Amino acid sequence: MSRFFATGSDSESEESSSADEITPKATGTTFNKNKEAFTPNLILCCPLRFRFEELTNIIKTIRNAMKIRDMSKCLEEFEQLYRAFLKSKTIVDKEGVPQFYIRLLADLEDYLNQLWEDKEGKKKMNKNNAKALSTLRQKIRKYNKDFETEIASYKENPEQSAEEEEKDDIGSASSKSDDDDDEGITAKSLMKKKPQEEEKKAPEASKFLKGAADEESESDDDEDSEDWGSDSVDSGGESEDNEGAAASLAVVFLKKAQDGDKQHEPKKDGRRKRHKKIEQVEEEVDEDGEAEEGGWEKVKGGVPLVKEKPKMFAKGTEINSAVVIKKLTEILQARGKKGTDRAAQIELLHALSGISNENNLGQGILVKIKFNIIASLYDYNTNLAAFMKPEMWKKCLECIDELLDILFENNNIFIGENIAEDSENLAISDQPFRVRGCILTLVERMDEEFTKIMQNTDPHSQEYVDNLKDEGRVCGIIDRLLQYLESKGSTEEVCRIYLRRIMHTYYKFDYKAHRRSLGLQGETKSEQDQEESEGEDSAIIMDRLCKFIYAKDRTDRIRTCAILCHIYHHALHSRWYQARDLMLMSHLQDNIQHADPPVQILYNRTMVQLGICAFRQGMIKDAHNALLDIQSSGRAKELLGQGLLMRNMQERNAEQEKIEKRRQVPFHMHINLELLECVYLVSAMLLEIPYMAAHEFDARRRMISKQFHHQLRVGERQPLLGPPESMREHVVAASKAMKMGDWRTCHSFIINEKMNSKVWDLFPETQCVREMLVRKIQEESLRTYLFTYSSVYDSISMETLSEMFELELPTVHSIISKMIINEELMASLDQPTQTVVMHRTEPTSLQNMALQLAEKLGGLVENNERVFDLKQGVYGGYFNRDQKGGYQQKQNYQRDQKGGYQQKQNYQRGGYRNQNQSSY
Amino acid sequence: MASRKEAPSGKSLDSPVRQIQIEGLVVMKIIKHYQEEGQGSEVVQGVLLGLVVEDRLEITNCFPFPQHTEDDADFDEVQYQMEMMRSLRHVNIDHLHVGWYQSTFYGSFVSRALLDSQFSYQHAIEESVVLIYDPIKTAQGSLCLKAYRLTPKLMEICREKDFSADGLKKASVGYENMFEEVPIVIKNSHLINVLLWELEDKSTAADKHELLNLSSSTHLEKSLQMLMDRVDEMSQDINNCLFFIPLQYIQRRQQENAQRQSRGEPPLPEEDLSKMFKPPQPPPRMDTLLIASQLSTYCQTIKEFTSQNLGKLFMAEALQGTSSYS
Repeated sequence: MSRFFATGSDSESEESSSADEITPKATGTTFNKNKEAFTPNLILCCPLRFRFEELTNIIKTIRNAMKIRDMSKCLEEFEQLYRAFLKSKTIVDKEGVPQFYIRLLADLEDYLNQLWEDKEGKKKMNKNNAKALSTLRQKIRKYNKDFETEIASYKENPEQSAEEEEKDDIGSASSKSDDDDDEGITAKSLMKKKPQEEEKKAPEASKFLKGAADEESESDDDEDSEDWGSDSVDSGGESEDNEGAAASLAVVFLKKAQDGDKQHEPKKDGRRKRHKKIEQVEEEVDEDGEAEEGGWEKVKGGVPLVKEKPKMFAKGTEINSAVVIKKLTEILQARGKKGTDRAAQIELLHALSGISNENNLGQGILVKIKFNIIASLYDYNTNLAAFMKPEMWKKCLECIDELLDILFENNNIFIGENIAEDSENLAISDQPFRVRGCILTLVERMDEEFTKIMQNTDPHSQEYVDNLKDEGRVCGIIDRLLQYLESKGSTEEVCRIYLRRIMHTYYKFDYKAHRRSLGLQGETKSEQDQEESEGEDSAIIMDRLCKFIYAKDRTDRIRTCAILCHIYHHALHSRWYQARDLMLMSHLQDNIQHADPPVQILYNRTMVQLGICAFRQGMIKDAHNALLDIQSSGRAKELLGQGLLMRNMQERNAEQEKIEKRRQVPFHMHINLELLECVYLVSAMLLEIPYMAAHEFDARRRMISKQFHHQLRVGERQPLLGPPESMREHVVAASKAMKMGDWRTCHSFIINEKMNSKVWDLFPETQCVREMLVRKIQEESLRTYLFTYSSVYDSISMETLSEMFELELPTVHSIISKMIINEELMASLDQPTQTVVMHRTEPTSLQNMALQLAEKLGGLVENNERVFDLKQGVYGGYFNRDQKGGYQQKQNYQRDQKGGYQQKQNYQRGGYRNQNQSSY
Repeated sequence: MASRKEAPSGKSLDSPVRQIQIEGLVVMKIIKHYQEEGQGSEVVQGVLLGLVVEDRLEITNCFPFPQHTEDDADFDEVQYQMEMMRSLRHVNIDHLHVGWYQSTFYGSFVSRALLDSQFSYQHAIEESVVLIYDPIKTAQGSLCLKAYRLTPKLMEICREKDFSADGLKKASVGYENMFEEVPIVIKNSHLINVLLWELEDKSTAADKHELLNLSSSTHLEKSLQMLMDRVDEMSQDINNCLFFIPLQYIQRRQQENAQRQSRGEPPLPEEDLSKMFKPPQPPPRMDTLLIASQLSTYCQTIKEFTSQNLGKLFMAEALQGTSSYS
């Protein structure tokens, strides 16, 4: 980058880009261009040439499309033509509507009418074309009304106008030939008319020269920049242009201050000069060369910014608010335009704020400038995916902080996005200042930028940690704004900022509150800790903010997010019942699929947190249910927005990938996936193993958790079973032990060094969770044991059981009673001896087998019936039967057959299917 | 060992072989073969040698096929058989090939493989039979050895390779008459009888507890399991049949006709479905037939087994009753 870069560019520096737009279309006319390159005078005709060339190019495509009857193409091109024509309006106003344009319009209309009449042809057209035809016809009708007279005159005398133009074109026939190729094939009416247009501009150039020259001074920037572009095509890349522009613009500023409003002239001068120079020296342009020209010295050497700033205004100028505002608008005009040097713009604004500060122009202006600095900071990255550079980010934070400072200090500043530009009051300090701008949007954007920065930083680097430290500042800013808006903002704004606050709170575990609840207050070491712990509990804050949103918010989205965050926060702090009730009351589960992906991700996160919370509380079933959806898909990572799954490109193109990347949750908010899976698998184990034991012989038994079964199968497939390594292997090994009712082994597999470090230590209340887990394992092992081995026992003493599973007698008693009540265990309790007496009511395996066989045979018979029915053509019977339940079906079997038979008779009577009768 | 005679299965047989007479030696060799080589569900096979006397097939000797693994792929079975028979002829043993034998696992022998090989045997040597030896039943105390032949009808179908539904219908082959069982007589030479008689006299009372074994569930479970598998296969076959017929079209046509009938219009003419739909390959019926046949075999064995067991149980009850009352 040149050192000029920083000196600033302004609104007029867009030329290179707009020129780029035009140049590709000019490829066909190298001949002209070369010529022009050496004859500076011709520059002036360029706008015309370019415009017309653009038009003729489009016209050419339209004619081609007409030839192949491609209506949709025609329509498309016509629209383009229309736009191009509008662009060249100024020229057209001067020169009159060009003949070729009129001719095309007339021809096109004729052609369309002709097509329209041709019903046959229309039918043959495909849908798209037919649609395009009718649209185009309507459009051209409407459009041609503006040119009625011209078209009429053309229609009267088409030859003449054609000839006229031919005269114009004498000089240049170079590229005529290729046009002739195209035109030669067309209908007669099209003959001869078109070919000239292409070459017209070269000779016309001289003709229009004067006009263009006159026009030039008035023509707007757009026009200007074009003729530049055409020249500079050969002469250099964009950067060069920018450099030049920056340099010249710096001058512009200087001069402008002197001669006030007449900025335009000198600017153009400068530019033209520069261009000439570029043409002459081509690539060798450098600062020195430029500096040689008169009046450029000040720029030379890249003067430090501070020194240059005051020079924004000429020395003598009295700097008052009017001048500053004017300057500001001037700078702002460049915003968003291509080719604007955004970095320089930021610098300029900074300088301006410095000036206004120095001259005590009042807070209004300062606020206005600050707003714009922040806005242009955000503008700096055009790409939505790109994230702010650290220095920009720092600047942004500072700016917002300062802005907030000003706003807090001065109570008489009103800001709002609905304050119109002209009703602003920036200067008059007697009345309250009114400034257009929305601080909330800026802060929200800042928050998003922060997320983006976090997303784009490697989470395992020191950099991430450093970036994360800014979170405090972000939170601070949000807090301050929150205070500000609470006093000044509307409810909606308050809701929005509350949500921001919530978003920064919900995923953080409140260690202080946790410690306090454990009564460990005294342990805080430093003073800072002490101070922090005196702050409000995050639970209380969440409660307050969320409730406000529930009450006041009118957009559904903010409320949904707030509810989800609230639930998450509850769940994180093990307030299971509150979390669950909130989730159930919100009915979010029913309609979350209609929400947008970020909210869905939040919902998934919340559900997962809820599940983990339930697990900590020992509600295994709830935990399993909450996690089932996320885990069963096998895409937990994606659903939680914690990373993209590797997929082939067919399923996701680059665009989608970018969008998905933007949705990712920053690393510090991630939920540990291994913990999640472990919790899920362990809860599945605790549910599934007793269930499997209970339904060993049930042919129709269903799986509770497919994923758990999958893991089991994977474990079984292992040819050599070593000691478990991964978390999954541990769970599988534990499941196997539990199947045998061996709770000690199961326990040792689930809770050991490895698992502790991998999973269990991640919980805040590790010890409680582990105790809960041991107990669950004991209980479920007892159940499994009873299911599996009850057939071996005639009776079993509860004391033995309680010893075996190290459970208290009442617990054993209650578990067994529950099993008996649920009819899972066929047994009765003998109170005096404290024994369980088994009843032999379960079918033996042989009986089970026989039952299964009977069922299968039933199915077979049913299938057979179907085939038979089909063959005989008795459909009604089959369908009616199908609607009945399977069990009934068997009972009604006899009756159905009768029905079928009757139906068959009916057929016989009707004489239908005589060929089949013999087989009855 | 006393010779056992299987009751002829009802109808008279119109095949060249009406009775099979087996040397005790052959039985012993088959049993020994299985004992040595077969275990579990593995199947052992061998060649039967003998000669035909009138309508009686006398099987006088046999030799096993060696258990060949996949390693020695170049092992030539035919070569081995020829070699074996030549050697046997040198020692003056009947060398006429009259069939083959096979062991079975819970009576599951009806398969495509058996059909094919028995067909090729019967095609080459008209009188040949297949002996099915059930080691499990034998282990329970009753020697189970059965001789089967393909019925002439099935032979014809196999010869024409027409396994379509129509072909089977025309030949009126059902699962019942695919195989015919030939009664077996085990006969020993007088010298051996004399020897046995002498031995019986000398030997102490042989333990014959297997015959009285009361436990039945394992055997039944196994049988049921296999029965169930077969039923599953059957169901699947039937399902295939269901989808073979252009179901939807027929339904639509049917409904239309019903409507027409209700309006009093004549029904639409029956169109030839084969013209409208490219007839898909009709599912071959042979496999279904084999499954059906296998099912009936299973049922037969289960029935036999259970009736025997019931008898045993009654006997046991009676014994217990007398012992408790006395």
